Amino acid sequence: MALDTDIYSHRDALRGPLALSAALHAALVAVALLVPGNFSSGGEWGNNGSGGAMGASISANLVSGIPLPTNPQANPENVLANESKGLSQSIPQPETKPEEKAIPIPDRNAKPAKKTAPKLAPPSRQKPRELAKADNVVPFGSGGPVATAQYTSFQSGNTNGGLKFDEGGGGSFGNRFGWYTDVVARKVHEAWQNEVNPNVSSAKRVYILFDISRSGAPSHIRVEQSSGIPSLDISAMRAIQRIDTFGPLPQGYSGSYVSVEFWFDYRR
Amino acid sequence: MKRFAVLAVFTLALVLPSLGQDWIRTGTGVGGEKIRIAVPDFKIVADDGQAAALDKTFNDVLFSDLAASGIFDVVSRSFYPLGAIGSPSDVKLDTWAAPPPKAAMLAFGNLGVSSGSLQVQGWLFDAKNAQSPQILAKQYRESASDESARLIAHRFADEIIFRLGGGLNGIAESKLYFISNRSGNKEIWAMDYDGAGQQQITHLRSITLSPRVSPDGTRIAFSSYFKGGPNIMMWSLDLNRLVKFPEFGGTNLSPAWSSDGSRIAFSSSRTGDPEIYVTDQNGNNMRRLTAYHGPDVSPVWNPKTNGQIAWVSGRTGLAQIYVMDSDGTNAQRITDQGYAVSPSWSPNGQLLAFAWIRHYGPGSPGASDIYVMDVASHKWIQLTHDGGHNDFPSWSPDGRHIVYQSTRSGTEQIWSMLADGSQQTQLTFSGSNSQPNWSWK
Repeated sequence: MALDTDIYSHRDALRGPLALSAALHAALVAVALLVPGNFSSGGEWGNNGSGGAMGASISANLVSGIPLPTNPQANPENVLANESKGLSQSIPQPETKPEEKAIPIPDRNAKPAKKTAPKLAPPSRQKPRELAKADNVVPFGSGGPVATAQYTSFQSGNTNGGLKFDEGGGGSFGNRFGWYTDVVARKVHEAWQNEVNPNVSSAKRVYILFDISRSGAPSHIRVEQSSGIPSLDISAMRAIQRIDTFGPLPQGYSGSYVSVEFWFDYRR
Repeated sequence: MKRFAVLAVFTLALVLPSLGQDWIRTGTGVGGEKIRIAVPDFKIVADDGQAAALDKTFNDVLFSDLAASGIFDVVSRSFYPLGAIGSPSDVKLDTWAAPPPKAAMLAFGNLGVSSGSLQVQGWLFDAKNAQSPQILAKQYRESASDESARLIAHRFADEIIFRLGGGLNGIAESKLYFISNRSGNKEIWAMDYDGAGQQQITHLRSITLSPRVSPDGTRIAFSSYFKGGPNIMMWSLDLNRLVKFPEFGGTNLSPAWSSDGSRIAFSSSRTGDPEIYVTDQNGNNMRRLTAYHGPDVSPVWNPKTNGQIAWVSGRTGLAQIYVMDSDGTNAQRITDQGYAVSPSWSPNGQLLAFAWIRHYGPGSPGASDIYVMDVASHKWIQLTHDGGHNDFPSWSPDGRHIVYQSTRSGTEQIWSMLADGSQQTQLTFSGSNSQPNWSWK
């Protein structure tokens, strides 16, 4: 109770400051009313005296007279974008990986993309292989038993064939060692088994490429041109893979291997 | 070293045989198109009296070796042009390439005997290639005897077969081991692949069974009653005597070498029931592979991989052929009926030859014949027909021939044939001969 008594007993102390505040506010209003010219005597807003006459002429001259550069990059003195490397090295920007897209679900009926297996060079060969010349390859679809003189044709029972050798490289292999090519043809023919889908009655020609090493072992067997029928391609590959050796290359042949292109025609 | 690449372009039109049995051709290398070869008699260039006889032996052996190889169609001698050929300068290739001989290949040469030594020069010419016909030129010199003339002919034939047969070694120098009773007891005998030079190996005066020569040709494993119950025994061909092999007790039969010569599989009844066991080549480290009630006998290894064993089991009643992995797992039966015994695995691992009575039992007068089965597909083909009791087939090292025993001539004799069943030839004629085994090389 004693505290309440104290607070109420000090109420008279505010009267002095309130009176002073009212007097000062009144004085402020009086000054504002007595000096009005300070806010409006400068004319239009933004024009401070002398600036009004010169403004039009300068602006007209400046706009037409500025020599705009025809090629902004031609200025070699551009400090900010010249071609000198400068002293400081810019930090390479971290590569931002493109956001991975979802793998599309393959359409069941879509044509499967043709696989191209990477051709591995044999480790033993230092020089890149001499690729066959274009005139060495019988064009697609024009093979088969050919009666021209440059082909050695052979016929054996159910098998018809013709073969041709490149004249470059190791020489006229086919002419000199016809017996060896007969051995190869016979052996492949013997090794071929009918593993072809029984629903297939005929197919496009499948081309198989392989090498025969000095010892006679086949290697680098691959499908050069698919027949479009996987079971035929596989059976042709397997025919070569079944063969351990064709017998050593002829003694008179100086090369270290021969490349053989074999094709299979299938009809039931 | 020079490195050349030659691109060969082959075409091959594959027209299916209507029978669809092309797999037998694939597995055996016979049955395809044969090479027409002419072999005129070798010309005598030096003679001290016995050259004519040796020349006849040489020519006959060379001719029959090539004819038996399975890859040649040897042109009959009556088609040959007149005039002896002794050297390349005598050859007029066009007369050989044209009909009537129409030969693709020509093997010729000369033979001379001087001061006790026999010298033979032989050539192989490609008759269709007039510019560079020579494929092979060989020269041999041995002491002058009938045996050397045969040996040289075998070697020259093997050389030709190796070249033209696609790198497979010929079998002209291979041997056959078999059981014969012509000495009064069942002993092991040996002969050349064509039946020549038959000679007795063992003299144990007991009963000897199932000789199996080792891959290196130095030892013969067999089963014998020599010391009581049939035991696996080992004969050294180098030492010409028995060598040590442990006795396991019970009945021990049908040893079989793995193709690396390191292991032997056989059948033993040491636990009462005949089961398949494997030991190393000296009979140590024995391991049992089968554990099933019923007899398990006649194991043979897959010589290509040594990873599989075919054997005969009676676990389901009549004897059937089974195949398992060489650790005893994955056993499966591959014959579906009848009575099948005596498996022999082809050198390339693709085919099994065995004796099969397909219709067995009362009312089914089935004959025991030789069959060949493709191991992967279980397709089979019958090789012998209507010719007595045929059993114990054994593959030649080139996989083109099979030797077997047959009673078609009235008694038990050794026969050989091409692996497609053709060219069946009797090799033995005296006594009773059985259980042939073809050497590995």
